[in-house]
Amino acid sequence: MNKQQNNNYDTLVIGGGIAGQEAALSLADMNHKVLLVEKGLSIGGKMIQLSKVFPTLDCAACITTPKMSETARHPNITLMLNSEIDGIDKTADGDFDINITNKPRYVIQENCTGCQECEVVCPEVRSDEYNTNLAGRKVAYIPFSLANPRIATIDRQDHSAPCINACPGGVKAYGYITLARNGQYEEAMKLHLEDIPFPGSLGRACYHPCQSACTRGMVEEPVDIRKIKRYFSDWYYEKYPQAPSVETKEKTGKKVAVIGSGPAGITAAYHLALKGHTVTIFEAAPAAGGMLRLALPEYRAPKDVVDRDLQNITVLSVDIEVNKKITDLKSLKEQGFDAVFVGIGTHKATASGTAGSDLKGVIDCLTFLREANIGKREDLTGKKVMVIGGGNTAIDAARTSLRLGAEKVIVVYRRSREEMPCFAPEIEEAEEEGVEIRVLRNPVQYIGENGQLTQIRLTKMQLGEKDASGRRSAEPIAGSEYVEEVDYVIEAIGLRADTAAFGGQVELNRNGTIRTDATTLQTSVEYIFAGGDTVTGSTTLIEAAGQGKKAAFYMDKWLRGMQMHDFEEGDKLPAIDKQIVLNRFKGEKRPQVKNAVIPLAERARSWEEVEKTFTEEEMKASTQRCLDCSNCRECHQCVNICPANAIDFSQKTKTVEIKAKSVVVTTGYKLFPPSAKPNYGYTKYANVIDAMQMDRLIAPTRPFNNVLRPGDGKVPDNIAYILCTGSRDSAIENGGCVSDCSNNPICSQICCMYSIKQAQLLMGALPMADITIYYMDIRAFGKGYEEFFQQTKGMGTNFVKGKVAKIRETDDGKGDLIVRYEDVTKGVVKEARHDLVVLSVGVVPNKEVPQMFRGEILALDDFNFVKQTDELVSPALTSIEGVFVAGAASGPKDIPDSILSAGCAASEVAGYLSRKEALLDDKKGRFTIMQQATKGKSILQQ
Amino acid sequence: MRQRIGVYICHCGGNISDYVDVEELSKMFHKEDGVVVSKDVMFACADSNQKAMVEDIQQYNLDAIVVASCSPKLHLHTFRAVAGRAGLNPNNYVQVNIREQCSWPHSDRPREATVKAAGLIRAGINRVVYSEALDSIEIEVKKAAMVIGAGISGMKAAIDLARAGNEVYLVEKDYFVGGHIAQQEKLFMTGQSGKEIVKRLYDEMKSYKNITVFTGATVSKVTGSLGSFNIEVKVKPRFINGKMDKQSVKRVMDDCQVTVRDRFNEGLTTRKAIYKNYPEALPDVPVVDMEALRDHPDFLEKHKAVINPNEQEETIALLAGSVLVTTGFDNYEPKEGEFGYKNIPNVITLPQLNRLMELSPEKLVYNGKEIRSVAFIYCVGSRQKKGENKYCSRQCCTSTIYTALQLKEKYGKIQNYHLYRDIRTYGKQEILYDRASKQGDLFFKYEEKELPTVEMNGNAITLKVKDYLTNKKELEITPDLVVLVTGMVARADAPHISELFKIPIGNDKFFNEIHPKLKPVETVIKGVYIGGTCQGPKNVSEAVQSSLAGASKITALLKSGTVMGDPVVARIDADVCTWCGKCAEVCDYTAIRETITKAGKHIAGVNRSVCTGCGICAPVCPVNAIEVAKYTDHEIEAMIDGFAAEVEIREEDVSAVNEGKEDFVAAHMKEYPQIWKDILDTLDTEKKTIPEMVDTLNMAPEMVTWHLMTMNKYGVVSPAGTNDKEEYYYYKIK
Repeated sequence: MNKQQNNNYDTLVIGGGIAGQEAALSLADMNHKVLLVEKGLSIGGKMIQLSKVFPTLDCAACITTPKMSETARHPNITLMLNSEIDGIDKTADGDFDINITNKPRYVIQENCTGCQECEVVCPEVRSDEYNTNLAGRKVAYIPFSLANPRIATIDRQDHSAPCINACPGGVKAYGYITLARNGQYEEAMKLHLEDIPFPGSLGRACYHPCQSACTRGMVEEPVDIRKIKRYFSDWYYEKYPQAPSVETKEKTGKKVAVIGSGPAGITAAYHLALKGHTVTIFEAAPAAGGMLRLALPEYRAPKDVVDRDLQNITVLSVDIEVNKKITDLKSLKEQGFDAVFVGIGTHKATASGTAGSDLKGVIDCLTFLREANIGKREDLTGKKVMVIGGGNTAIDAARTSLRLGAEKVIVVYRRSREEMPCFAPEIEEAEEEGVEIRVLRNPVQYIGENGQLTQIRLTKMQLGEKDASGRRSAEPIAGSEYVEEVDYVIEAIGLRADTAAFGGQVELNRNGTIRTDATTLQTSVEYIFAGGDTVTGSTTLIEAAGQGKKAAFYMDKWLRGMQMHDFEEGDKLPAIDKQIVLNRFKGEKRPQVKNAVIPLAERARSWEEVEKTFTEEEMKASTQRCLDCSNCRECHQCVNICPANAIDFSQKTKTVEIKAKSVVVTTGYKLFPPSAKPNYGYTKYANVIDAMQMDRLIAPTRPFNNVLRPGDGKVPDNIAYILCTGSRDSAIENGGCVSDCSNNPICSQICCMYSIKQAQLLMGALPMADITIYYMDIRAFGKGYEEFFQQTKGMGTNFVKGKVAKIRETDDGKGDLIVRYEDVTKGVVKEARHDLVVLSVGVVPNKEVPQMFRGEILALDDFNFVKQTDELVSPALTSIEGVFVAGAASGPKDIPDSILSAGCAASEVAGYLSRKEALLDDKKGRFTIMQQATKGKSILQQ
Repeated sequence: MRQRIGVYICHCGGNISDYVDVEELSKMFHKEDGVVVSKDVMFACADSNQKAMVEDIQQYNLDAIVVASCSPKLHLHTFRAVAGRAGLNPNNYVQVNIREQCSWPHSDRPREATVKAAGLIRAGINRVVYSEALDSIEIEVKKAAMVIGAGISGMKAAIDLARAGNEVYLVEKDYFVGGHIAQQEKLFMTGQSGKEIVKRLYDEMKSYKNITVFTGATVSKVTGSLGSFNIEVKVKPRFINGKMDKQSVKRVMDDCQVTVRDRFNEGLTTRKAIYKNYPEALPDVPVVDMEALRDHPDFLEKHKAVINPNEQEETIALLAGSVLVTTGFDNYEPKEGEFGYKNIPNVITLPQLNRLMELSPEKLVYNGKEIRSVAFIYCVGSRQKKGENKYCSRQCCTSTIYTALQLKEKYGKIQNYHLYRDIRTYGKQEILYDRASKQGDLFFKYEEKELPTVEMNGNAITLKVKDYLTNKKELEITPDLVVLVTGMVARADAPHISELFKIPIGNDKFFNEIHPKLKPVETVIKGVYIGGTCQGPKNVSEAVQSSLAGASKITALLKSGTVMGDPVVARIDADVCTWCGKCAEVCDYTAIRETITKAGKHIAGVNRSVCTGCGICAPVCPVNAIEVAKYTDHEIEAMIDGFAAEVEIREEDVSAVNEGKEDFVAAHMKEYPQIWKDILDTLDTEKKTIPEMVDTLNMAPEMVTWHLMTMNKYGVVSPAGTNDKEEYYYYKIK
């Protein structure tokens, strides 16, 4: 592929079929700079799909691959594939401004060698367009073996699965579900580790936005994605108690300090280390893990799992220094760190300010949970505990209290149950364990004796109007206060970022969070980035982790001296419309698999994990419920197998602006959609195919091992051709195909000959087969065509002049077809039985063409082909000066005619381009006629 | 001597491998002396394989390559370029043609085809061993193009060539430009007047100073070659004193009473012996038909100031880098008696009708009779199974129908009858057919084996036709005029042009391009291109497209002033040569001249840019002093030895069906779709046909077929013969 330094070209050629290639080559040979834009993944157009070409019976590939090769390699031609023209504007100086959308292949073109490893490993099969849908191809694929450029593509169809799209951390749930379903647990784990390094903890404590987005939830219940994750992470940790070593990118020599070892910090450190930077994490607490360790109770996330999760980071030679509270960011710079990431979370509990909160027995939830997790576990045996608040931490504190021996635990929440921010299943589990939830209550005063809490004064609450946040405000009901005995109160009413120490070092928001650039997470100080709860306020594990990953992405760019805003983090695409998935779902309702939990009697007082991991069968059954929403599974098997590291899911659609002095439209044609002739039964009967399908069936690169009926693989022995399907026809029902077809009174110019060609090839491939061609007139008009027609006739093909009215399948279940036709020469209606019917479909215009032009309109002819404004004298001219047309864009053409028209367009473009320095004669009359005059050689002046 | 040779044997996607056992051959040549790499490849010409070859050459340090595939006509340059890209001299490459020479002609005897291929490949290897690294010859090209024929194709090409900055010589045989279109009052599909187009193009040509038009001019001699064709053009005299003013010339024309048959009007009328084809004909200088006036000395004497009967033909030598031949076509002239032509009055040809219509503004009258009905007989002189012209003339159906529409439009009540074989109004022209049907024209289909007959019955014509649209019922028509729809034939002077430029002529007698798709306007003579109808029948638009395609090739060729020529040229051994001159005598290209060496010896000297390497000089040399590069005695003898060597081929059925599918290894495919697994389960123990699988799988047969074929494509299953009735293939797990 040739790179043009600037974006100025002499000519833009639109369409890489045979006409486009020929026009581009001709112009390039004249030293003009050409940009060839092709919508598809390869140049070659329809010709490269063909078997052989009439009348010489050269194999199409032999003729066209050298041209493709030459086009792709020509120093004056730049190819832009997988690209569409958004708009062409003519400028005042007569040039064209052109906007092009270049869609991603998700494969780095320069790296791909076309080895097809990705295609082999890809687990998903889709219809193979190149083989006219007669067989399948993978989602990771090379469009066809002769493609040029021969580069793989990941067919993501511009969407992700809803589960993948929903994950703030960018974890590919659909991908790992696929792998887990197939027993590829190690691969599933590795896929997870591409994004977030602590799947063990997440498999237990993630609030799984993926699962909430799962399409299956609209059928009955979502796929249990979190538990599937837990299954394979447990499997993996059991297999690898010690984290296996991981290859990182080449060392950059840059040092990064990460402050805080919570989800955000470790994820940032992990990705930075993978990218080759040297990372040190500073943790204020005596143990690493942040909220994972300090706030998640043991019964939800055992500490050995957190430890093992952390190994995924430390195995990358990331140092974690605990008990190291950083307050001076600048000093890190002085210590030689090139960049700093601040991810200190929200480790300050919001104080309620309720009178008496200094009493012994009143504690904030963070201190309480931290003590329970890594400090001294307070003995609450026999005590009555009240937890103030309705969030996850409140419920964690309540359940922890039970495990510390409390006799009675009451959660007090000021709004109604509906408003409780805690994750609903957690509340249910807590209630099962005996926690009492009291809503519409709020403490007014803590009452104590000798500094020790003994009572609490509560007020009843009522809900008012919705406030700005959409939640209904809670207002005390006057006179409803009452006093209740209590031994212990845990306040869990909110968490805040403890950033006071950084004030004056980086800009903070009013609520204490650190102010960052919304995209890059860079703070007011260039080398300091921040993320996670420190920036967003208290959120979830996976959101914080996502921030860490994002910050690492931009820090890496910054550390490498790149422009951060040139890059966009993430490889997510919009979620597929769930309705599409539901529409194709034909299965039955099948609720979630319920796995075992510890019996209630044991669990409420035990630190054992409440939830058991799935058994393999339960996990597999869960994965089977997946509706396979998106086209690509994003399992990244292709990424892992690619020997050239060529696959890149983070590629983005690019818009390119170029300038060109001229434009050649070689957008070709479309085949008539045969379903627009419902009486011919295409798609209804498996053994009615169109002629392009037959060309694939007889091509040397065919998808089948022989010419076989697509209906049942039978070797056909009585084949019929119906000519003029969708041509010379003013009786086309317009219902089925809306804009793709309508009455098509013109002749398609190629169908007679390609059918005759196929008949000849079939007689070679299937010597015993009978071939009948139903025709109106045989239009064998080109050089050598009539001779070819006569030869085919002589070989035994049966030509019947007659119009076919209807095709129907036989009743005997054999899949054969009855063709009902009028034998014109006899004037009678007849029926004939065939075992394969080929519809010789016509040519219809490519209607995308006129939409490319803005401002000046590209005129079309009566049949919606590009109008040749001077058809006889300058056949390449269009209604726009500087825009030329070649090939079938201006009407049906066979290959030689297309090639000639392309040469013609090139000639006219060349003339047009030289218009400024044209050799116009200033003194008319030097135009001469040589002629003998009376004396010697003189010239007769005109 | 080349000692590290790469051999590539092409399947050509089955074209070769269906008959020739290419896999076996590639194994065989592994063992050949000097062969380092021997491979069989699906498409040698594919980009991926070209890349692989470049890698091989570099990795294995190959010093020569042999590709056994199709004709070198198709891909010689492709693989030379591969060699070049890999850093090898392109001439250390030999192409062996095992398709046109083995698989295609011997498809009935695959084993022998394989043996022959083996011999040819071995000959190729032996030849490449002696191949020399030759450097291309840099040829200077004159930035001038000659266009021969000033019909619409030639004029339009001349304009484009001039616009692109080339000097252009446009040579027209007639005294007036425009060719056939000037004879058409209205051209399909646009209805434009041919004469107006001629004028428009003529005026445009005049605005370029780098176009010179020669009228009444023919090419008489051509020497030289690509880059510098020395062309002699003979310009016939007009016998008009060019210094005279137009009024005087016109007076002489008015005074002339001698008339001759008017060829421009297809003999329907006469014209004066001082004439223009039509009043507005260009250049605007009349011509004297001196043949007709020789017998009128008084007239000549009277007007001697204007007419110069002694004017002589002039020969002008021109130098052109390239030549575009756009000499056009002749109309088929029916034989006397063919459908009554010339024997029966009121039987004329379509070109005559077109002239008649232009000459008849009000009523259509012929032979004094107003014409109210016209019968067209199509395919006269075309599509003849046994006749001379087997081809279809492409544009006559549309032209006829367009004429039929004009008849009705211009003259009102005329009934048209069309006696046709197939109506070939292809593409958008179909609309005209539709209109003709709607205006009430009647169409009867006849077949070649039962031709219509034209007879004179008293004063009326009786036309009998067996109509294939009504069960071959014989119909009788009595039209006022029978029009024979004559096709296009190669020009009578085509053989002469062919002789001058060495352009090959096809079976249809038109000029032959190299390849209708790969090189549609190129001829085998480098630098000589063909455009328009001299290559084959075309309508106006198509003719222009092809001539402009030629123009674009020429502009590319002439752009830089030099081109690289093939180094396959004759070489003289100066020590041996005695300059007898025999070689120069036989050289068709005048590439050999006597030269004197520094030592003063007289020897034959080869003009390397003119020499085509045809080799005719080598055998006539009595002292064996001439050889042609790449065809040295060493190489030829080695080839003969190679071909004659014993070939041992493993006994195997080489005709076995070769699956042209992509070669995949299923081994690493970790997850199959569930359906694939089910299919594989049914194939676990035994091979099965698709209907057998359908029975066990309880799935729609088309679904099973689709998935099975996908698995087949990816190499998960493979076919295993057919069932007894040969209706279905068996499949097995691969």
